[in-house]
Amino acid sequence: MSVGLFDGLHQGLGQVLDLRMSQHTLTAANLANADTPGFKAKFLPFDQVLGAAVNRGKNLMLRATHERHNAGLGVNTQAPLVEEIEAAPWVADGNSVDPEREAVRLKQNATMYGGVSRGLGKRLALLKFAASNGER
Amino acid sequence: MNLLDTLQITASGLTAQRLRLQTVASNMANARTTRTEEGGPYKKQTPLLEAVRDDPFGTDLDRAMSRVEVMGVVESDDPPVMVHDPGHPDADADGYVAYPNVNVLEEMVDLMTTARTYEANANVLDVTDTMATTALEIGR
Repeated sequence: MSVGLFDGLHQGLGQVLDLRMSQHTLTAANLANADTPGFKAKFLPFDQVLGAAVNRGKNLMLRATHERHNAGLGVNTQAPLVEEIEAAPWVADGNSVDPEREAVRLKQNATMYGGVSRGLGKRLALLKFAASNGER
Repeated sequence: MNLLDTLQITASGLTAQRLRLQTVASNMANARTTRTEEGGPYKKQTPLLEAVRDDPFGTDLDRAMSRVEVMGVVESDDPPVMVHDPGHPDADADGYVAYPNVNVLEEMVDLMTTARTYEANANVLDVTDTMATTALEIGR
């Protein structure tokens, strides 16, 4: 099976960016609803989401495919699981948004997003380097 | 879900906090108001916030993301604060004046949490901007 110009790693990195953007939107929704009674804070459990994606890739590895088909990493971004945080029993209005936790998640997620997109950029720069006969 | 949805959600959060600030301002300004159009003293107002889902038919992820909307403003049913002040024109037969059921200390606390939550939402706006810029620089 020939490896195309844009291989599985490109797709994988792109999907990680998608997931990170979804997490960012979840954080935005959590902070927007910081005062909504009964609202439960939501987040993407990344270790599980990515772990499931990797395991799925192992168990259901594409053994054979048409040479023009794109194999990918087997990451499914269509329906990642979302986890909710329950409010502590002493919280009167049942809202489980913790601004500090959300602030940390916001920064952490943005940093990871920046790292992954930089990695993707470097990979594209490699292709560009090769395509231009080693000239910049 | 894309960047614009994120911005919409953050905007809804900012709007909700601004409206909350307005009710706090109204409560503070009318902390000693004894006359209203409906008669009787001013009543403490509280905004009703509700989480609203934009996409009820999407994936679990789409449905997890909700805007916040101010569904209305409710008046508090707490009894007015009775103060003995026979010289006041609105005093009753026993010389008691009904002052609004607004606790200025509570309003101050509300004011501070409103400002912090507004700040947090504005911060999300900043980070969204940074992420968008980072994404646009891929391949540069």
